[in-house]
This record gives sequence, C-alpha cells and structure tokens, in this order.
Amino acid sequence: MSHGAADPTMHPEVQLSTSKGYFLGFAISAFLMLVATFLVTSHSVPPFGLLMVISVCAGIAVIAQIYFLLHIDISEHNIWNTVALVLFIPLFLITIGLTWWMFSQLYLRTMDMSVMSSVTNPAVHASAAPKMSDMPGMGSSPDSAN
Amino acid sequence: MLVDLPGGWSPLLGRLAWSQIPYANPILAPLFVAVVIGAIILLGLITYYGKWTYLWKEWLTTVDHKKLGVMYIIIGLVMLFRGFIDGLMIRTQQVWAVGPHSTGVFGSLHGYLTPFHFGQVYSAHGLIMILLAATPLLVGFMNIIVPIQVGARDMAYPYLNALGLWITAAAAALIMISLFVGDFAHNGWFEYAPIFELQYSPGVGVDYWIWTLQLVALGTTLGGINILATVIKMRAPGMTWGKLPIFVWASLSANVIALTSFPALQVALALVAADRYLGAHFFTAGMGGNLMLYTNLFWIWGHPEVYFVILPAFGMMSEIFPTFSEKPLFGYITMVLASMAIAGVSWLVWLHHFFTMGAGPYVNTAFSVATMLVGIPTGVKVFNWAFTMYRGRLTFNAAMLWAIGALFLLLIGGMTGMMLAIPAINYMVHNSVFVVAHFHSMLLVIVYAIFGSVLYWFPKVFGFKLDEFWAKTMFWLFSAGTALVFVPMYMLGFMGMTRRLEYVFNTSWQSYLDVMELGIVVYTLSVLAFFILLYVSIRDHAKNRVGADAWGTSRSLEWMTHSPVPFYNFAVLPHVNERDELAWRRQHGIDQVRPAHYDDIHMPNNTGVAIIMGGLTFVLGFALTWRIWWLCIVSLLAIILLMIIRSFKGDPGYIITGAELQRMEEEAYRREAQIADSHHSHPVSGGVVGNAMAYQRNDSSK
Repeated sequence: MSHGAADPTMHPEVQLSTSKGYFLGFAISAFLMLVATFLVTSHSVPPFGLLMVISVCAGIAVIAQIYFLLHIDISEHNIWNTVALVLFIPLFLITIGLTWWMFSQLYLRTMDMSVMSSVTNPAVHASAAPKMSDMPGMGSSPDSAN
Repeated sequence: MLVDLPGGWSPLLGRLAWSQIPYANPILAPLFVAVVIGAIILLGLITYYGKWTYLWKEWLTTVDHKKLGVMYIIIGLVMLFRGFIDGLMIRTQQVWAVGPHSTGVFGSLHGYLTPFHFGQVYSAHGLIMILLAATPLLVGFMNIIVPIQVGARDMAYPYLNALGLWITAAAAALIMISLFVGDFAHNGWFEYAPIFELQYSPGVGVDYWIWTLQLVALGTTLGGINILATVIKMRAPGMTWGKLPIFVWASLSANVIALTSFPALQVALALVAADRYLGAHFFTAGMGGNLMLYTNLFWIWGHPEVYFVILPAFGMMSEIFPTFSEKPLFGYITMVLASMAIAGVSWLVWLHHFFTMGAGPYVNTAFSVATMLVGIPTGVKVFNWAFTMYRGRLTFNAAMLWAIGALFLLLIGGMTGMMLAIPAINYMVHNSVFVVAHFHSMLLVIVYAIFGSVLYWFPKVFGFKLDEFWAKTMFWLFSAGTALVFVPMYMLGFMGMTRRLEYVFNTSWQSYLDVMELGIVVYTLSVLAFFILLYVSIRDHAKNRVGADAWGTSRSLEWMTHSPVPFYNFAVLPHVNERDELAWRRQHGIDQVRPAHYDDIHMPNNTGVAIIMGGLTFVLGFALTWRIWWLCIVSLLAIILLMIIRSFKGDPGYIITGAELQRMEEEAYRREAQIADSHHSHPVSGGVVGNAMAYQRNDSSK
C-alpha cells in the first residue's frame, strides 16, 4: 500500500471528492431528468425526435455522473475505477446486444408484424392484417390439410 | 391512486387489516403461537441473564468482520432451516396427494395444503434457499475469511459491512413476517410475467417478494463492494496477486459477478414494482409491454447469481482439499483462470433458462454452446482437485468428507447440466422435476462445501473443534437423504412429472414419491444430528481447544493468527513470502516466530447506526408492501437523514497502543501454551528470520 491505512480521508479517492462536484453532478442529472420527463408528458416533440432528445439527455447525464459522482478519469491513482469502467463495456454490449438479438429472432417467429405496425400507425391495422388462412400451414378448411 | 387496488385501503394502515392475519389457518396459527412463546422465552432469558448490554456492545453494534460474518452465518442457518421445513412440507404434500382417491385435510381437496398455500411454500422455499440461506452463508464465510487471508485487520469499509448485514437481516425478517401477516408470493421464486401483475396476483404476496428480494440485492451488493475493495486495497505487504490464497480469488471472482449482476435484478424488480404500484406496463401482454422481457432481465441477473453462489463454494473446496491432502493445490494458476473464466461466461448463458421461449435455432444454439463452455473451466477445477488428492497424505475427517461429497455431486449436477444445455433435451424436460433435481444437485454442492467449511473454519473462529463423530454422522445421514430424494426425482423427471405439483395425477409415481419422503425423513435426522453436533461440541469445548494452526497441515495466512482470532486479527501484519505462506514457513522452520515489538494499531469504532438503518429498511419494506404511504415517507426520510448525519460524523477510529497489544498477545500465547499439542513460539527481533521477512517492517522511511 502506497499510503497509510490509518486516516481514510487521506486516500486519493476520498481526496477527489468535493461537495461542489457532488452537487453539480446531482443538479445536472436532476435537471436533465426533469427535461426528459417534461418532454415525455407534454408530447411536444414527435416520437422520433423525442427518442433522440432523451438519448442525448441520458448520454450527458451518464457523462456527468461518471465525472462528478464516480470521479472516473484516467489518472494513475484512479486505475481501479477505470478498470471497472472498462470491464463494464463488454457486459453492456453482451446484455444489450444478446437481448436485442434473441428478441428480434423471437419476434420473427411469434409476432404478427402488422400488429406491431398498428401500434404506431393504427390505420394500417385493419387492411394489412393477414387472415389466419393466409398464413402457411393454416389451411382455410379442414379438407385441405393433408 | 394510480392503480386499481382490490380490497380495502386506509390512509393509516394501508392494506393492512385484521383479516390479513391467518389466525384460522390450522398450520400457521399454532406456528405463530409457538413463535411468540419462543420469542418471549428467548427475550426473557436474555433479560434474566442480563445479556442485553453484552449483546448490544459486542454483537449488534459491532463492525468486526468476524462477528458480522458469524451473524451472517447464523441468519443463513436459520433460513436454511426454514427453507428445509418448506422442503419437508412440499415432499409431504406430494407423497400425500397422489391420485383422485387421496384424502385431503385442512380445507384441501388432496393432501394438507391448498394450491394457494402450496404455491407460497415452494416460492418461499426457492427464494429463501438461494438468497437468504446460501447467499448469507457464503457472504458470511467470505466476510470472516477474506480479510484474515489477505492479512488485513478488518474490511475496507467496516461500517458498510455492518450495514450490509443488517439490510440482509431486514430482508430475512420481511420474508418471515409474511408467514403471519398477509401471504407470500405463490408464483414461484422467480415469478412469472404477467401473473405477478396486480390484476392476477391482487394480494400482498408479490409485494413481499419484491421488497425482500430488493433488500437482499442491496445488502449483497454492499457486501460485494466491500470484499472487492478489501482484496484490492488491503492485502498484507508482500502479497502480490500471484500469492493470493485461492479462496480469496474465488471470492473476488464471485463478487465481481455480484457487483455487476445484482443491479440487473434491482432494475427488474423496480420495473415490476412500477407495474404493480404505478400502473406501468413493462411486463404486461399489451400496451407496449413484453412479458418475456421480465424473464430475460431476471435471468440476466439469475444466471450470474448461480455462479456467484457456486464460486465461493469452489473456493472453499480448494482450501479443504490441500489441507487434508498435505499437498499444495494442484494447478493454482489454472484454478484462478478457471474462476475468472466461469465468472466471464456466466454473463453469456442466461437464455438457457428459457430455451423454450422460441427464439429459434440460431439463438438457442449460441447459448447452448456458451453453456457447454462452462464445463471446461469447471472440468479444470474438478481435475485439479482430483490431482491435489492424488498421492496425497489424505485425512478423511468430516470436513474432507463434505468436500469429497461436493465433488461427486458436482459431477452429477454438471453432467445433467450438460444434458440440459442441449436445447433438444431441454425442450423435453423443461419445467420437469429433472430440472429441479439438476439444480438441487448444484445447490447441494454449495451446501456440502458450506458444511465442510463450517467444520474446517469453526476452530479458527471459536477456538475449538467440532465433534468428529457427530459431524460424520450428520454427513452420512445427509448424503443418504440426498440420494433418496434426488435419484427418484431425476427418474420422475424423465417420466414427465412437472415441477410444483400440489396434486400428483399419476398414481404409478407413488412409490418414487414414497422413497423421496423417506429421504426427507433421513434429511430431518441429519438436521437433528447437526443440533446434537453443536450441543456436544459446545459441551466439550474445553477438551477440543486448538492453537493457531488447528489442523496442523493448514497452509494459508488465517492459520497464522490465534484461534479464536483476536478482534484485530494480526498484532503485527505478517509479511507474505510465498503463496502458501504458513506451509512455506513451516517448511523453513519459521512458523513459530512471533514479533518482538508491537506498534500502535488503528481500529474502527462500533456503531449503532447500521442496525438502526437495517430496522428502518425493514419498516420501509413492510410499509411499501402494505402501501402505508406515510410510513414509507417517514422511514425513507429517516434513512436518508441518518446516512447524512453518519457521513458528516465519520469514524475517526481508535488506537490500541503497542503496550496494550503486547499484553493481549502474551495472554493469547499463554493460553495457547496450555493446549497440549501446540508448539511454543519465540520472539524474533526486527521481524526478520534468516533471509526471510516474517512481519511488516515499520521503518520510518515508509
């Protein structure tokens, strides 16, 4: 150990933290959250734009939290924080990526895609939904089944 | 209110009402009376013997990692017993309710448990065994052993450690109180969407489940952070990564998993809570929700959690085998790599819990292959243990028997796991008791390793050995019970018996169920043997006292300090020269050295904040379950306030002077000298013997 264990406030990790930094991190995240909540509840932005704005807000919030609350930078004495962050990246990719893959495969097999489109565009639903008899393997009458 | 709440609700008591107390239930009402009487007797005894001050000062406010670990283990054992009783109830219901002609009592058509009650029993059994028995037991052992094995005086964050314990205790209390106030979830320990939604499970059972699990997750995450920080920052001088004891490596890999996976569970639970409390639609079948997303999110945590509990068990086995084979562990590096590989692969396999979802051949194949990959590092471990024992000087004492038992069960569980990893087989046996038998084999590996560790490390913590005869009796009874319960279960699984049946329709399965009931009776005898073991060992403790190295063949750092371990662990921190430090010192004839000079040391103060905080989290969980909003706000504010106050106050700790330390150490050495088979140590000056450094150097240059 490069530093004394006796006084915990002397640890470099503790030395990094300032109340100003914490308040700033908290204020930024709270502000961004309020903005996002307002945009969602007021429906003032079209869906795609909303997604973009919220994503940007989330991205800024993540960076603010990483910097101000978690004190992650690439300096020498913060090596373990950096290690934790780097180890997190593959986990992030695995969980999001594999989930996306398995559910896209699941939807290929189980979802009636026209129903999906009807969620965003209700007008499509009535005309585009295939009848059961149109699907492969679903004969319109019992006789046609061999 | 945001959701359509069935039943009554009052601002003062939320959903709580007298009708929620099951006083008419023929099983719960007598149990409740027994529990109340037992509690009164216990509290009365503590008062009568005037032990409240002792209890408060020495245990309830302690930040000593060993005492916290012991309390974790006590919670784990109590919950293991509760979970076992649930298991006994499940077996008895199934052996009773076979076929249409089976009788029924207590309002049940068949057997003695109504379907709703039976559902609660198996749900509680699963949740308790995994999260409130296995997890606290393992966390307890990691708490006790890791700091001593790395040569530290306490955890990196002693107060956080106490907080983790009391939050876990709050979770245990919450699930226990669900027995007598309201009811517990009846949909299985991992729940299913959308049956846990409010309209399908209108009672408080699922709410109890949410907050119990949420509290366990919180407590375990805090514990995980602590152990990681301890291993990374608090190692004794000289202990490089390559010299880390193997149990520490196992704990490290396990807690990396805990730290990264538990948040996924907490998010899943928070979303379930949003559905039930705020009327959200994350896991409903419509309104943009997707019920399989719940299963997905749950098992993203759930599978890593499985390895979170098995890796410390592997670590325990890796400590027991070398000690009683009198050989160093075979393949240390590969063992470490295997632990890390298992931890890594644990993140890639979660879909195998729901192969039958229908994600298709590509997805299923990928996850099948990933699952089979787990077999490689695990196989490495099995061979390493076998080669450790190969041509070793084996001692078949009780701890070793448990470890060997774990090894055999690991083979059975592992092989059946490989079968289940094949999607085609999985489709056949999905949701059958074959799966149940498989994961019980695996969880029993953990139980075997835990009992082995109880025997192995008990003398370290308490200063005397447990009775060998009763320990072995318990082992053989337990193993007989395991065989009798789980061999027929595997067979019934192949015959197509599905899990969680409160009524068994196929009368030809009766004889198998009979054998399983016999097995659970034998298990009960082993529990009895455990109680006798404790009684006999405590009665004869004066005869079984041990010195620092209880087994005489131990290898790692924890056996270099006194037994029982003094609260400061090491008077002078040892300097680590080799991987198996004690074995190395024994070989070089310096295992009996002791420091000639003692410096002042710095220790953390006790604090009552942690237990109060634990109590408040229990109140918060209870209030959330019953939707008593004012109580939620009050307890949450109290928690936050207390946390802020504590943060500003901090803990300066206190100093034990060198002279005081010397007095305590000499007393400990005197006590050790009275034990017949202990050796006598002699002081060395300057902490250096020959060319080897025995103790931390306290040079002014440092």
